[in-house]
Amino acid sequence: MRKLLILLASMSLLLPACGSDGDGGSTDATNATDGGSDHAELTVSGASSLTDAFGDIGTAFEGENPGVTVTFNFGPSDGLATQINDGAPVDVFASASPTWMDSVQDDGPGVSDRSDFAKNRLTIIVPKDNPAGIEDIGDVAEDGVKLVIATEGVPAGDYAREIFENAGISKAALANVVSNAEDVRAVVTSVASGEADAGVVYVTDVTADVTDQVTQIEIPDDINVIATYPIAVVNDAQETDLAKRFVDYVLGPGQQTLADYGFLPA
Amino acid sequence: MLLVGLPLLGLIFRTPWARIGEVLTSDTVLTALRLSLLVATSAAAISFVLGFPLAWMLVRSTFPGKTFVRALVVLPLVMPPVVAGVGLSAAFGRRGIVGSWLYDWFGIQLTFTTGAAVLAATFVSFPLAVLALEAGLRGLDERLEDAASTLGASRWYVMRRVTLPLMAPQIAAALVLSWARALGEFGATITFAGNLQGRTQTLPLAVFERLQTDQDAAFAISMLLIAIAFAVIIGLRGRFLR
Repeated sequence: MRKLLILLASMSLLLPACGSDGDGGSTDATNATDGGSDHAELTVSGASSLTDAFGDIGTAFEGENPGVTVTFNFGPSDGLATQINDGAPVDVFASASPTWMDSVQDDGPGVSDRSDFAKNRLTIIVPKDNPAGIEDIGDVAEDGVKLVIATEGVPAGDYAREIFENAGISKAALANVVSNAEDVRAVVTSVASGEADAGVVYVTDVTADVTDQVTQIEIPDDINVIATYPIAVVNDAQETDLAKRFVDYVLGPGQQTLADYGFLPA
Repeated sequence: MLLVGLPLLGLIFRTPWARIGEVLTSDTVLTALRLSLLVATSAAAISFVLGFPLAWMLVRSTFPGKTFVRALVVLPLVMPPVVAGVGLSAAFGRRGIVGSWLYDWFGIQLTFTTGAAVLAATFVSFPLAVLALEAGLRGLDERLEDAASTLGASRWYVMRRVTLPLMAPQIAAALVLSWARALGEFGATITFAGNLQGRTQTLPLAVFERLQTDQDAAFAISMLLIAIAFAVIIGLRGRFLR
């Protein structure tokens, strides 16, 4: 009987735990600013496709601003916008689509200093051994191809659907989808691990880490979508000045880093 | 109390009660509900069928490495579900140690199938079944089984007419607990089985996806899951924890 009680207690611990482990790896923004000007923490929520480029930009920004710590919260833009609109303490938001910046601007706390800072194209990736023998966009609509794209609402997922529409293979391609990934990086993982036959991601997601595992199949320009990335200071930012400086940095010296990672100028 | 109560209260406030009927009978939710019931029930059944012999061995026999086996069985309880998912992929994925074999020989790929969702749910709920069954076997008066044997009952007859009936409460607990845990499974499922409506999108995955696009629906499904959890706890209390 007592064992059962213990079991039940342990279960009640587990149930809420399993509900929360999916919130996209949100980082708690601790506003550790103790009044002193030496230490400041800037919280930046960025689309998951920005993970590598912003990681580098953050390090460079910290180097130029001693005492400043930049904390990143990478995830699907729609999820990040939802967090901000629910009151998450975020200073800067960088979205992979204007839609979710609009959402924060109109339905959330609002933004200032908004501007577009990069553009991106999409591409198809397949595992190196290309088990489904995919050679062009039309092949992803072939019978039995295991296709993974980001879920609806996630910019990369919406762009992928738009591309299928443009290519006139919407129905067949969507029927091949075996999983709607939570964000674009999860698509990369599925393909790189060889579980999926193909995925649609940003050109910039094919980073040095995965070039050994995946091959890019280009999407023709007349079918492809160009994604525009806006950045802005969130209105209830804790570190307004610093946030503005970070936005300026991304629009200034950060442009080179973004270009190095394959982003196009806005 | 507040720690547990406040999130619950938050959910209750945010739930769109006016729309709840419409939301919960939508296609997405009904599909996810059906799939969740299928996955959780299969996981509980497998956990019981595999867990019973294991619990038996842990209680009634001695063998080298028993302590290790017991620790291994409980591991999924304390392991982060995402790690479980990564491990399952490494074992049963297309390039996994067993999975590559399944794929090369039979052309079977578990990843992104309902089978994968069941496997993930079984993995995390199995320990609960074993622990409950172990407790049941331990509390059993072996003399009753011995008495039946001396009266000429076969081993199978003893099992069927003495052991299992005496353990009924713990068997029920094993099934209910593993079912409830399987129903709430998220991390291992999304990592190993992916997220596809009707195939691997169980209720918790539906909550996660809806949260990004249709918050009302996410809250409504959350309330449904909480109602089920409550029903489980009340059911257990009424029958076993008097």
